[in-house]
Amino acid sequence: MSFSKDLAEYGISLAQENGANYAEARVVNGKKIIYFLQNGELISGSELKTQGIGFRVLKNGGLSFVSVDEPTKKAVKQAISAGLKMANSSNPKEKIDFGEPVSNKAKWAVPIKEKITNIDSDTMLELLSQMDKVAENHNISSRANFFEAHSTQKTILTSEGTNIEAELSMLKFFSIITAKGLLDSEQRWVDLTRSTGWEGTKTWIDEYNDQCAQLEKVAAQEDYRLNGKVDFVVGPEVVGIICHENAGHPSEGDRIMGREGAQAGESFWRDLELGKSRVGSEHVTVLEDPTFPGTGGYYEYDDEGVKARERTLIREGIIHEPLLNREFGVKFGLGTNGSARSSDYNREPIIRMANTYMKPGDFTIEELIEGVKHGIYMLSFTEWNIDDRRYQSKYVGFECYLIENGEISDTMVRRPIMELTSIGLFSSIDGVSKDLDFDFPGICGKSDPSQGVPVYAGGGYLRMRDIRLG
Amino acid sequence: MFEQIKSYVDAAVDFGLKLEADYVIARGIDRTTNQIRFSQNKIDINKEWQIHLLELFTVVDGSKIAVGEFSPTSEENVRKRVEAQIKFAKKMAPSPQFQSIEKQISKYSQIDGLYDPKIVDYREKAPEVINASIQEAQSAGAKRVAGSFFFRDNYFYLNSSSGPKGEFSTSFYNLTVRAFQEELDASGQGLACGTIPSSAEKKILNASKKAGHYSKLHLGAKQAKPGIFDIIMAPAVAANLLGNIPEMANPLLIMMGMSALGDKMGEQMGPEFLSITDNGLLTDGLGSSPFDFEGTPRKNTPIIDKGVLINYIHNTSTSALVQSETTGNSELYDFGIGTKFLTPIGTNVVFNNGDRSFEELLEGSGKPTVFVLCNWYTRFTSRISTEYSTIPRDAAFLVENGELGQPVKNFRISDNLLRQFANIDAMGNDRTQIKWWEVEFPTWIPTIRVKDCRITTATQ
Repeated sequence: MSFSKDLAEYGISLAQENGANYAEARVVNGKKIIYFLQNGELISGSELKTQGIGFRVLKNGGLSFVSVDEPTKKAVKQAISAGLKMANSSNPKEKIDFGEPVSNKAKWAVPIKEKITNIDSDTMLELLSQMDKVAENHNISSRANFFEAHSTQKTILTSEGTNIEAELSMLKFFSIITAKGLLDSEQRWVDLTRSTGWEGTKTWIDEYNDQCAQLEKVAAQEDYRLNGKVDFVVGPEVVGIICHENAGHPSEGDRIMGREGAQAGESFWRDLELGKSRVGSEHVTVLEDPTFPGTGGYYEYDDEGVKARERTLIREGIIHEPLLNREFGVKFGLGTNGSARSSDYNREPIIRMANTYMKPGDFTIEELIEGVKHGIYMLSFTEWNIDDRRYQSKYVGFECYLIENGEISDTMVRRPIMELTSIGLFSSIDGVSKDLDFDFPGICGKSDPSQGVPVYAGGGYLRMRDIRLG
Repeated sequence: MFEQIKSYVDAAVDFGLKLEADYVIARGIDRTTNQIRFSQNKIDINKEWQIHLLELFTVVDGSKIAVGEFSPTSEENVRKRVEAQIKFAKKMAPSPQFQSIEKQISKYSQIDGLYDPKIVDYREKAPEVINASIQEAQSAGAKRVAGSFFFRDNYFYLNSSSGPKGEFSTSFYNLTVRAFQEELDASGQGLACGTIPSSAEKKILNASKKAGHYSKLHLGAKQAKPGIFDIIMAPAVAANLLGNIPEMANPLLIMMGMSALGDKMGEQMGPEFLSITDNGLLTDGLGSSPFDFEGTPRKNTPIIDKGVLINYIHNTSTSALVQSETTGNSELYDFGIGTKFLTPIGTNVVFNNGDRSFEELLEGSGKPTVFVLCNWYTRFTSRISTEYSTIPRDAAFLVENGELGQPVKNFRISDNLLRQFANIDAMGNDRTQIKWWEVEFPTWIPTIRVKDCRITTATQ
């Protein structure tokens, strides 16, 4: 027995009949195959049916969310009754407004060639076994590998007439690999998430091989460190995390206006002016775009049924556009830009990133390197964090090489630390390459209870001048 | 009241055995969780999750394991799901980690105060409590108040094909409240949690008052300077950082390369005045219950005794692998990325209470000292060597002449956790239970002073 549109429509009607100004249902029916392997040995597996409805109800300016996992009219009735009561009792001092009605109707699907549901378990396990051998061949002593294949039907219905039906397909491979190093144990968290059919796994062995080779190299490096001021040329993985943390998160409208205050925090953008405040050099343009098929952040319509589009967060160094859902679109007076996502039926849709990246510039990678007399070529990072206003960030280099007199040397630099403010970081950039790679797939966590949503981030290569190492 | 979920659980075990499973454990959960989120001095949203779930662990052909969960709707639905799961399990390879499950039928301890009989009515009252909490923080000096308040009503029924069977109810509440001044970087935090929400109003208001008080005290914070400092960690910080060490006493984490304790058994890791247990039977503990997922009675297991690592937590399988005994820590655990599996998992991490008042901790050694109220975004370079950094948030102060002095901001604790654990030099007498966004397992811990910690700041 699965959740039907009828049950969702029943819940919405019930809410309207009982005075709701707005009601919305997110119906999810899905299947997940999951395996956990340690050093190639299968520890556990699951074949799960995931199903449920999440309702949001707006009544007298008060908002509620209620989810139910039992696909019966009785359970839905109970959920709507609780939702109406909660919306009423929240009695907000400032009434919540979703703005102009939205009534989109569409069907969309993740483009796929091979349906995940047609793949048998032997094929999946054979791939995972081959991937483990790849890691073993790189002398990686501990390999904890998690695999998930999701296929999901999601329908969004609202009392305003929105009806969006989506067919989703997601593959996740997440690996914690540890190698005994010359100086210390070295670890890397590998994430190969993608929104594709089974064909998305065709490159997994090569991609995993690259990641394992990188760990092997780092584990073998000597203790060569740099001090003082250096230039950096950083690769797409590092550019990705910078765009995500220093530009994407502070641009979230709910943070800027304080709604995430107790959890994910606020934003240094609160005290800046859109279209006027400079946070970086003219080379810095950071874009957000959910509409790249295949990426972790891919969607055509957001979880409020709004059509997805590209957003320009920072244009030539100046903050330009925050990420907004319907509620915060009203508060900013800009309208929604399709940024509402919920990680599952049992989470409220909130403002999230999707795919965040640095707009390609005019340089080649060679030109960026040529201009560096003494610096670091940083291809990847390990430990990182940023404060909850998204202003003070730290990135520790993982695979890094010394640049001398315009050439990348074979000398590896151990764990250089870039501990910078967001403005200090973006202002130091004097060149961005023409490339665009989404080399940083990840699960972005936000809110309480936490909502981990797949995102991608990336860019090309960029050059940063005169960075004092931490 | 729970007869329906119980009958589905029993049916799942019967179906599994008829289909020749070696072992079947089924656990039914009827749960209602509520949350009120608030910010800018007002309630933003009121939430409820209604969960009617059957968790199912099956073993076939000796050690082929499958784990599932679903919302049962009829006996026929249960039969189909069990059949599908066993078919799936038969295609698995044997798991070398699986040894067995609990076979002993035990009498379970009654834990006082695990369930609040007034919790259903509490749903009506909760928004008033939160509005009062916001006002309390404002009265203590806050300009803006934000937070999250959870409370939950849980019923569990377990049936194992190996014999153990039992049921229990639990409840909890958990408040995170954060108070701000107009400035973004002057803030304070308060936490309150426990098992009986209907009698928690005083604790909730005190947490809010504390958040408001510290936000005001933090006004005028100056940029911190990098260097070596003694750090006085408030319980929330100590739980997030030092609490990692006992949590790492877990064979699963050791196997995955996520623990620094794989080769530390019997070693002196902390000072002799420090002892830590994993106590699944603690009154008011958010991690307490009479028995674990296998039906093994919960225990109070010493992990660190007088600074020495003496035990890991175990379930039946991990204990059999090392010729030890289960500590009653078996759970179906979601690793946070959607994958649930049977593993030892901590219940309540309990540090011994210390003997110093807060004022005595401030008196210190005369070395540069910082008091940190809260932190977030802790990340490790390696979980084995424990190099890490974390970002203090909310109020932090230099300690000057034995008192909280100049408020400071914008810094990191960048250090090594094993070294800091060894450098604990005093413990407060204010032990409290901590569980919030940055502390997953309920941790009972006092304010702790750690000597010679490294503080770093942005270089530009």
